[in-house]
Amino acid sequence: MPKWFVPATVVCAAMFAVSPVLIANAPYESTMGLVQKIFYVHLPSAWVFLLAAIVCGVASGRFLAQNDPRHDRLAWAAAELVVVFGLITLVTGPLWARKAWGVWWQWDVRLTSSLMGWMVSVAYLLLRQFGGPGSDKLAAGLALFGMANVPFIYISVNYWRTIHPTTSVVPTLPTSFGLPLWFSAVTFLLLFILLLKMRVRLQEQRAQLDALYLSVDT
Amino acid sequence: MTIRGLTTVLILWVLGTSGQQWWPLGGAAETTLLAQQPAPVEEFVPIDQLPPQDQLPAAPLLVSAYSFAALALFAYVVSVARRLGGVQRDIERLQDELRRSGRA
Repeated sequence: MPKWFVPATVVCAAMFAVSPVLIANAPYESTMGLVQKIFYVHLPSAWVFLLAAIVCGVASGRFLAQNDPRHDRLAWAAAELVVVFGLITLVTGPLWARKAWGVWWQWDVRLTSSLMGWMVSVAYLLLRQFGGPGSDKLAAGLALFGMANVPFIYISVNYWRTIHPTTSVVPTLPTSFGLPLWFSAVTFLLLFILLLKMRVRLQEQRAQLDALYLSVDT
Repeated sequence: MTIRGLTTVLILWVLGTSGQQWWPLGGAAETTLLAQQPAPVEEFVPIDQLPPQDQLPAAPLLVSAYSFAALALFAYVVSVARRLGGVQRDIERLQDELRRSGRA
């Protein structure tokens, strides 16, 4: 692991310890009350979910263009993180919606396109796991579709009728709501970078292991 | 037009502009609008007197959301760490094998 990994892990752990204090001290929103505080974990995980899908798509595109296995390793690592952060987003969202909207799920465009994006990454991982030879290129093509879905997810609330909050909520947040949100977002971003590094390291070691198996067999 | 005719037109106009559609025109639309309206509130009920399934307190939802996020991240970190450890052990075992066979 690189030299920065351990200090960055300590900083990330400290930020995770401070986040609940900031979130607890944030004011209650006037109409949603206590349940609005789910926002501070739901939104950062959704942002990281979309960021991971972009990283996976860009790395897959570069792998298809240059056939460099380093890009493939990065894409595989990012796809796993799309699934992890997407799952957090798709579970915490309905927990908030149950109280705010009165329903667990609504088949509106934001929720449905997010679920589609998550399922594309699950398909990517299944393809890598069980697809056999050549699945790396097929999965890379799939990841491009996953990335193409990201802007659609983001802008969907502004173009279609939906009960999901629009993208204008975050830029207009008062500091009392914005500070815990941005702190939480930076914490999630740092965690994403650390997990991505760990996961890429695992792929590198697997490649090394494959090379060693070949050496033993020959 | 007679005075009676003018009076009838005037009454119809007044009723029309005040939004009271007393004639059958648009009756279907009116029925639909009425059906969409919530039932009038006949009494106020304190929330703690509602059946448990209707009270829906926010705290369990909030705790569930944060617990799920923490558990999912923790489980993923443990999963990656275990996989890394397993691959590292295999690498060391193979390197030992190669060293013993003099091919390293």
